[in-house]
Amino acid sequence: MLVLVLGLALAGTEPLCAQTIGSANNFWFAGTRLAFEHPQLHAGQFAVATDDAALGAFLAKVGAVLSYQPGQNYVVFTSADRRVITFTLGDSRFNVAGVDQSAGFAPYVAGNVAFVPFLDLARALFVDPVQDGATTVMQPQIAALEVRPDERRTFVTLRGATPLQFKRTSGASEDTVSLLFTGIASTLEPQRPIDAAGLRAVTIAVGGTPRNPTTTITFETPPGSVRSLAPSESPNSLTLAFAPAGTQLGGTPIPATEHAAPATAELTPSDQAGAPAQPAPAPVASLPPSAADQTAISDTGVAAGPAMPSETATPTAYGLAPATITGLRTQSLDGAFNVSLAISGNVVYEFHRLSDNRWYVDFKPATLGVPNEDQSPNDPSVLSLRVKPFVGPVDRLATVRVALSLQGPRAVNLVPSSEGLTIEVSGQDDPAAQSYGTGELLPGRLYTGIVPLPPVSVAPGQLEAPDEPWKFGRGVQTNSRLIVIDPGHGGSDTGAMHNGLVEKELNLDISKRLRAILIARGWEVKMTRDSDVDVFGPNASARDELQARDDVANKAGARLFVSIHINSFTSGDLNGTTTYYYKATSYALADAVHARLAAALPSKDDGIRKDNFYVIHHATMPAILVETAFLSNSADAQLLKSSAFLQKVAGGIADGIADYASGSQPLSNEGGSSADGI
Amino acid sequence: MRLLRALAIAALLAIAVYAGYRLFSPHPPAAGTVAVYYCKLDGETLAKWVVSLNPNANDSGSAAFYAAAQAVAGPPAGTAAIRFPAGTVVRSVHLDGQSASVDLGGAIRSRQSGSFAESGEFKALVWTLTSLPGISAVQVKIDGIRVPTLPGGHFELDGPLTRQSW
Repeated sequence: MLVLVLGLALAGTEPLCAQTIGSANNFWFAGTRLAFEHPQLHAGQFAVATDDAALGAFLAKVGAVLSYQPGQNYVVFTSADRRVITFTLGDSRFNVAGVDQSAGFAPYVAGNVAFVPFLDLARALFVDPVQDGATTVMQPQIAALEVRPDERRTFVTLRGATPLQFKRTSGASEDTVSLLFTGIASTLEPQRPIDAAGLRAVTIAVGGTPRNPTTTITFETPPGSVRSLAPSESPNSLTLAFAPAGTQLGGTPIPATEHAAPATAELTPSDQAGAPAQPAPAPVASLPPSAADQTAISDTGVAAGPAMPSETATPTAYGLAPATITGLRTQSLDGAFNVSLAISGNVVYEFHRLSDNRWYVDFKPATLGVPNEDQSPNDPSVLSLRVKPFVGPVDRLATVRVALSLQGPRAVNLVPSSEGLTIEVSGQDDPAAQSYGTGELLPGRLYTGIVPLPPVSVAPGQLEAPDEPWKFGRGVQTNSRLIVIDPGHGGSDTGAMHNGLVEKELNLDISKRLRAILIARGWEVKMTRDSDVDVFGPNASARDELQARDDVANKAGARLFVSIHINSFTSGDLNGTTTYYYKATSYALADAVHARLAAALPSKDDGIRKDNFYVIHHATMPAILVETAFLSNSADAQLLKSSAFLQKVAGGIADGIADYASGSQPLSNEGGSSADGI
Repeated sequence: MRLLRALAIAALLAIAVYAGYRLFSPHPPAAGTVAVYYCKLDGETLAKWVVSLNPNANDSGSAAFYAAAQAVAGPPAGTAAIRFPAGTVVRSVHLDGQSASVDLGGAIRSRQSGSFAESGEFKALVWTLTSLPGISAVQVKIDGIRVPTLPGGHFELDGPLTRQSW
């Protein structure tokens, strides 16, 4: 037993034969050298540390993530297509998506980090080492081709190490479809007979050089067969559908050769924060609405996700490896305020100035290598500074936003530095300052493509805080005639964005309609917001923002609280209307409202659900949250574009409230006293 | 002879201590497998798949960490499931009494899905971790911090979640 205990204790610690290396560290991947910081050689194998920045960069490029906790025995990698690759300290076996494999050595711990066999990991992520002189080129591969036939259709899914961007090339005949992938090779068999519905065979041809490989995949189909792109699970996979002639096949048409249509009608990221709208790219006129939201196609196809806007960044932006903001320093000096950013890599930037003296710049593609920042520097020029990463809701690019609340319309300049970039906020106002600009940051050089925009038209009060101070304290009397409507999201928080729709705008639209109906029926109504604003303040914490909404109702002694939202999901498959409640005292209201919504709306009835959502938990009166439909579903999106549908939603909620109020439901205000009935 | 007797006593003591730890620890070692749950697209139904633990790494902490990583990765590709955003990372899992504290990072910070997905994601994570021996509640943190909800989110994460939270 002692031996066993000792064995367990020693398992996974640094082996004696591990040694640091230098010159052998010569890997090339995706156009750059992978400069590992402290690799080791063990049993002739290349070992990399879990905290090595080069490993992080490699994983980012293939869309994989690492989960490792010092002191635990597992080192877990998850690929872009959700394959889990598990290493166990002290064991040379590792597991790839449930299949055990043998590694060159057992992972071990040295210091506070684990070392794993890099080449075994890379192969599991579909990246193969290829020797090119003294350099080891880590060559991404298309390594899986899955065929799923059903009675009428055949689905083919390709899986690669990196995002599967392609260009359609001329096929040998109308009965072939050839897709050219650049920058990626393939380990697939060159010939694969299929003989299923709509598809005869697939051939794979690899060309190019070790550093710049190409792969052409040709699909041979029976005469007249139809084919399309189907939604894919990740950028690193591509699914095509084939069917015999005359079959109705959903999905998105595979773009024709030399096809160069702009991609999308989605909103640009600048719309998120109420910034002036950018020129919207033209919609894809030839596609049915149901397809346009699934996969946007230009002549350079992207396998999955919404399309990239063509107007908001230079084209090179999307070919860049993500830069990393590695440092952030602020300095207040003689009324001016500087934010110095250390940035590794090239990055595209886009800044916006809003009419309420907020200013922000987005860097993309970029990751934040330092903690999020949220400070109020008490500076004569800058009220607050916030820095946080997010994924662009439209372009799906990793983005880092630096947001400033200025004391006035201060002049702001972007100045390149040896480290990256400095945002210089002047102590002087510049009422004519640019409201928008974009450019690219290269080492020590700033390429600017300033694009002046028309003046912003903002209605008075549109960006102001809610009208009245919240003057009620605890134990406030319930106002039996007061209903608080909470239009979800708003201001700096757009909520979901899909199909050219923005959740915060629809929430407000429905809420205003509901308010009008309720007032006409004799209710008093208070809105947590009645314009496009944050209720607590821009970019506030989730608690501040959500509690501020509850506070409106709690402090006013409202009888009911109704939060209006639109749902969304990562795929466009889900649709329907759901009414949520959390506390038992809210169920009757949910039941009454949902019964009316289900009867009035053409959308699918997804029922009533109990869920612990903040705003309906912390409201002290019966509270519900209505998810009226799914923005991400094309059919629901069409409904949401209809004024008649929005009016039906408002009418259904109002009717449900009337049913609830006219029933035998007792007044319930958990934080206050009871009051008269209606 | 005396030395042999001392060694035997020491070995017996060690065995007793080890057996006592195994018997009375609040987090006994996991079995050879872990049930990992995912939420189906109806938002309510849970399904599970089973992953094997390495026999040399089935201590409660490692098993919990591995289970959380699997739950966040979700079921194999092709399975219709509510999934955490791609790029979500399990930073750590700590066990304290009957509670597991899971620290998430990466893409979860900037998710864009609605309330429907949030609920399904955390339901799967909580059911996975509470299937481990001795664990009945899960506290979620984001980047090491307890948060009321995800940024721009809905589902409350302030307190420990249990299977009764849904």
